Amino acid sequence: MKRWHIRDIILVTIIAIFMGVIFWAIGPVYTILAAALAPAGLQPLANELLLGIWVMAGPLAGFVIRIPGAATLGELLGAVVEMFLGGIWGASTLISGTLQGFGSELGFILTGYKRYGWFTLVLSALTTTIVTFIWDLFRSGYAAYHLPFLLLLFCVRFLSVFIFGGVLTKLINNLLVRAHVLKD
Amino acid sequence: MNPSLKLTLLILIALEVSFIQVWSVNVALIVVSLLLMLFNHVSWRRLLWLTLVPLFFASALVWSLMLRGDASTHFLIVIFTRMFVYVYMGGWFTLTTKPLWLTRSLEQNAKLPSKFAYGFLAAFNLMPKIQAEVATVRAAALMRGEVLHVWSPRLYFKVILAAMNWSDQLAAAMTSHGFVEGAPRTHALTVPLLARDWWIFGISLLLVQVGLFVGLP
Repeated sequence: MKRWHIRDIILVTIIAIFMGVIFWAIGPVYTILAAALAPAGLQPLANELLLGIWVMAGPLAGFVIRIPGAATLGELLGAVVEMFLGGIWGASTLISGTLQGFGSELGFILTGYKRYGWFTLVLSALTTTIVTFIWDLFRSGYAAYHLPFLLLLFCVRFLSVFIFGGVLTKLINNLLVRAHVLKD
Repeated sequence: MNPSLKLTLLILIALEVSFIQVWSVNVALIVVSLLLMLFNHVSWRRLLWLTLVPLFFASALVWSLMLRGDASTHFLIVIFTRMFVYVYMGGWFTLTTKPLWLTRSLEQNAKLPSKFAYGFLAAFNLMPKIQAEVATVRAAALMRGEVLHVWSPRLYFKVILAAMNWSDQLAAAMTSHGFVEGAPRTHALTVPLLARDWWIFGISLLLVQVGLFVGLP
């Protein structure tokens, strides 16, 4: 199995910084969306809709740098950047980042870091959704919601993670494969 | 306080507060973080911003929990104050810790392999270049009448290509300047890890445990 070298570490950090800037930049979009949905008591839905963008650093780093730990490290560093830029979640960003990264890492672990295609992406989206949802059951008090609403939140979260962490990552990966910088 | 210990303390407390529901400890943590920020001369505008943001999100979250769930008043207060704990403690940490000093401390005190410490530092110094690169990629696309959004694969593709280039060059530059992975290093600047740091760390953590488990509301 491949090991970490200085080049990979710099690469994963640059990708994480780039994603961290994006995480931070969509903060206002999230605020507006949350404000629009809040009166109806649907504020968590804003979180679920955009979550895919926030967890993207994981699968993206995992696909570009195919070394165990890449997804976790990419997402964690993205969270660090977001926190230092002044993101809206403060200290919990670091824990969320680690869990989101580990969630997508699980998808790669389960396929033994050997398959880099749709199957891994769907699996990774699913593990990310489950891990981050369990975290929100505690952190954001999701456990107190009625079951139908909870199911709605879960499905919207999976769709968002699948679209950004799955479809978008795959499209980026396809471009990189076509440019011969990544193996298919 | 030593940055590595400070980071550990922050994460441990944030983690505990997320699982245990004692709002009086949350309020105490908010007050302590606020005092620490005032003590470190954090600007009023910054503090106002750090208050308004969680105020909005915590209120919205509590409102949704009231409408769509069956949470007790106690739980709602816990959730409301928890948001402030995260943001205030995060604010205290980020506004009083320099990333460079933190990385050095992680390498020297927390035994993070130097290839990671210097890899992070090398990349973080590229921050302005990364921002400029995103602007260039967008402008270049605009000249061809193409608008790149957060969801455009082409934006990520071009930035990743640039990132690969830079990481190759930086790694080569570091190697040519004598950087060897895993080789022992000396440090021009050492980050102290004093007995006092351990005392502050231990006592803070102990106080939080007492607060959480002594049966406060």
